[in-house]
Amino acid sequence: MTFSRRSMMRGMVGGAAVCVGIPTLDMFLDVNGQTFADTGAKVPVRFGTYFWGLGLTDTPDGGSRWVPKTKGKGWEITPELESLKPVKDKVSVFSGFRVNGDGRPNAVHWSGHAAILSGVAPSRGGQMDAPSFDTQIADALGVGTRFRSIECSANGKTVSYSTRTGKSFATPEASPIALYTRLFGQGFQDPNSPNWSPDASIMLKQSVLSGVAEQRRALLARVGSTDRVKLDQYFTSLREMENQLDIQLQRPAKAEACLIPTRPDEKPRAHSVDVINANSKAMARLLAMGMACNQTKVFNFVHTPGQSETYIAGDSKIYHQYTHDEPTDPKLGYQPNSSKLAGLVMQAFGDFLVEMDSIKEGDGTLLDNMAVLAFSDTGYAKIHSLENIPMLIAGGAGGRHKGGYHIASAGEPVTRVSLTAQQLAGAPVGEFGAGAMKTSRPITEIMA
Amino acid sequence: MCAAVFGVGTVGAVAVTLQSPAIAQARQATAAEPFAVAVRRLTESQYRNIVADLFGADITMNARFEPEMREEGLQAIGAAQLSVTTSGFEQYFALANSVSAQVIDAKRREKLVGCQPADPKKVDEACTRAVVTRYGKGLFRRPLTEAEIATRLSIAAKGTAGVGDYYEGLRLALASLLMDPEFLFRVESAEPDPARRGQYRLDAYTKASRLSFLLWNSAPDAELLSVAEKGDIHKDAVLKAQVARMVASPKVRDGASAFFTDMLQFDHFDNLTKDAATYPKYSQKVADSAREQTLRTVLDLTVDQNRDYRDVFTSNETFINRALAAVYKVSYPSKDPWTKYTFPASSERSGILTQVTFLSLFSHPAASSPTKRGVKIHEIFMCEPTPEPPADVDFSKVQALDKGTVRVRLLDHMQNEGCASCHRRSDPPGLALERFDGLGQLRTLENGAPIDVSADFEGVKFTGATGLGKYLRDDKRIPACLVRNVYAYGVGKAPDERDEDYLDDQTKAFAKSGYRFKALLAGIASSAGFFKVEQPKGLGPANPPKAVATARLSQGGPQ
Repeated sequence: MTFSRRSMMRGMVGGAAVCVGIPTLDMFLDVNGQTFADTGAKVPVRFGTYFWGLGLTDTPDGGSRWVPKTKGKGWEITPELESLKPVKDKVSVFSGFRVNGDGRPNAVHWSGHAAILSGVAPSRGGQMDAPSFDTQIADALGVGTRFRSIECSANGKTVSYSTRTGKSFATPEASPIALYTRLFGQGFQDPNSPNWSPDASIMLKQSVLSGVAEQRRALLARVGSTDRVKLDQYFTSLREMENQLDIQLQRPAKAEACLIPTRPDEKPRAHSVDVINANSKAMARLLAMGMACNQTKVFNFVHTPGQSETYIAGDSKIYHQYTHDEPTDPKLGYQPNSSKLAGLVMQAFGDFLVEMDSIKEGDGTLLDNMAVLAFSDTGYAKIHSLENIPMLIAGGAGGRHKGGYHIASAGEPVTRVSLTAQQLAGAPVGEFGAGAMKTSRPITEIMA
Repeated sequence: MCAAVFGVGTVGAVAVTLQSPAIAQARQATAAEPFAVAVRRLTESQYRNIVADLFGADITMNARFEPEMREEGLQAIGAAQLSVTTSGFEQYFALANSVSAQVIDAKRREKLVGCQPADPKKVDEACTRAVVTRYGKGLFRRPLTEAEIATRLSIAAKGTAGVGDYYEGLRLALASLLMDPEFLFRVESAEPDPARRGQYRLDAYTKASRLSFLLWNSAPDAELLSVAEKGDIHKDAVLKAQVARMVASPKVRDGASAFFTDMLQFDHFDNLTKDAATYPKYSQKVADSAREQTLRTVLDLTVDQNRDYRDVFTSNETFINRALAAVYKVSYPSKDPWTKYTFPASSERSGILTQVTFLSLFSHPAASSPTKRGVKIHEIFMCEPTPEPPADVDFSKVQALDKGTVRVRLLDHMQNEGCASCHRRSDPPGLALERFDGLGQLRTLENGAPIDVSADFEGVKFTGATGLGKYLRDDKRIPACLVRNVYAYGVGKAPDERDEDYLDDQTKAFAKSGYRFKALLAGIASSAGFFKVEQPKGLGPANPPKAVATARLSQGGPQ
């Protein structure tokens, strides 16, 4: 939740202020989307973001429960990355990267991933000051698939960090059944079906939208800039719907790996980590098949939100409370329950990658043709650290990603990793970020 | 944008905002043409109400709407930030196709279409025009332009020609209206004010919509649209008469219901989960019932009985069903699904803060949270938001949860001044509610230790939920906050310094009415301040000049 300056002042208890001016609105205007999109069809790689809340555990003495000691190729498994063992050689680990806020406040449980995705520390919590970069990759890669991108939230809450306007966020599928329905419900065409014929009702549906698109110019001419950004998003959604209908009128290309999954059961919502992980795994399997069946090439997956409320069933304390309240065990040197939860949360990411890796595509697997950028909202959650935010890139990116590296940085901006992920996905991006986090240097060490 | 420096460890950054020069520039630069003051996405309940008003309450609308966004305490303010994303568009599209199919289906066709084509297999432009004009006006909250009608005539004609069915063509035209941004968004427009040279006023249809969305949470009815069409809505006496008519209508319950649903943050129910082992009585049925209980209670007091608004903090009159009776541990005294119920004066249940809604929404999955509850009392009822906790707070003194009561553990926060300044405000009212667990069940012990519910809050001492209710009932921030919220909700914007005098006047009038909610609605809806025009930034051509494009921060581009 956000409040105005005036209301903040009332509830405020002291502090210092600095003013920074970064133009914001202009960053949302869709000026080069087209050039970007034109190059899209050539890129066969899938791209996704994977988010989990509350970072991983560092220790007060400067140690860590997740950062490997080995630098460069061949990192060793650490306690909180244990679950990545089966796919370790397809994953690169990035440690020591940080968010430089350009004087902006640390919006706790928000600034980290907002900066990774938008390239700039947000001016306030809950919003981003530039579009999340996945939307631009979706514009480039999403051409020719039914959905430009698919958003998933495995924790039952409608959480997504994908945004074109910085304020309107994508609405994710928040359960396996919802994801199944979106991908394989109405409108799905089996690419391997021998009896395909175009559905005549689709042309009628198209005509409904034709009238709406015509008014774009007249409407945009009489609104202010904020409203224009918002309406631009509406018209982008309209074009995506038109694209979906166009695709449904074409005979789908054969997809060998495509096997239509069975409909998952409806389950009551719960937030304990065992339930979220089970949801996450079921959704990973559906998503993998959605990609194998050419329904989308881009996804944004949220395991748990920034201020994660997951917990171990029956325990009265949630993960977020543990990260802050739990003392460091003097013998172990770290927070035992927090670290245990971190390991459990990462188990879901390991399982996710294993699902992707289990689908054969050509000589390799689906994972070999993917670039997944995984990251969290914070480094050491106890102190809301914006340093050493855990970031990982998984998947072979169609041969572009070498995999199996640990890149240790001494405080360089997280945007370097974001830029690397974009280039691995094949997006024609040479530069990313703003202000102190602007970078044109991808991490070439991991790029083939 | 102004902000505190990273890592300085301030509690709540002081922000110093400058008066935006862009507003001043836009004011000078604008020609005397109508412009949109705001574009707000319809809420789910507004969408549903408009469709039900126009086509009947029996139209099925099975869809998942995109989440709302809360800003400055209200979703009505956040609605001005929201757009329609891809999956939201898909949902609207499916809904438009389904609603339009129901309108022309065999059982509704005669009643809803109202005219018959000369040949049911061929185009009948006159009939289509009549239907599109009528429903278009209801959906867009203004008459359609000739171009907008022509577009739909063409869609209908092509559709009919394509499938040889008049009604299918008509259906497509209706679906197209339902997908239009002027239906899905509330585009509020201003025009030059003929009475004040160089000034603007909201146009008549925008005024009508503001009234009907505030008072009825739906589009204007035929009478209100007709008053707008004639321009009479700009006359004070006519405006007051319309407001009186609308507040007297049973539909004011829909308006009040939407307002309180927003203000009381019922949207948290969408994401509510409870740990099954800790709270075996919790179920979706309990959650849905709790929500309904609180809404029924508030509407009964403020609308049906027209009582003093502040009674919501003290009244022990409420409504329960069987599922709630189990949680409240009382026997269910009725054969009906719901019944009016009065908790005995000796019980600790009085006021909506002692209902399952408030107590469970602002708790953890497996524990209560005095801090969350206290923060929400300040935020929802006093309009006093609590700043985010300091980013680099040292929690090392805070101890484990498995011993003693939460009061003792929270005292640890008081040893850190960075924490104490907020916890001193948030915790006392929350601690007064500690005899209710994370689901809202009454208890006397926590971890075997007796729970102390005494509170020392802002220099006043009281005990337990009843004491808290009485304290809040007499607090002067409570009515002022309601006034602020009704106004902000109605105009879709957070008030600022310039609205202070106006809000003070409205608060005085509210007190004079004996704190009657309906009087407050009527007072705000018929005031000039409710229709104030503010020009948005960056009015201008739809396509920004090149210079703007190059000035944007780099998001990467072609190499």
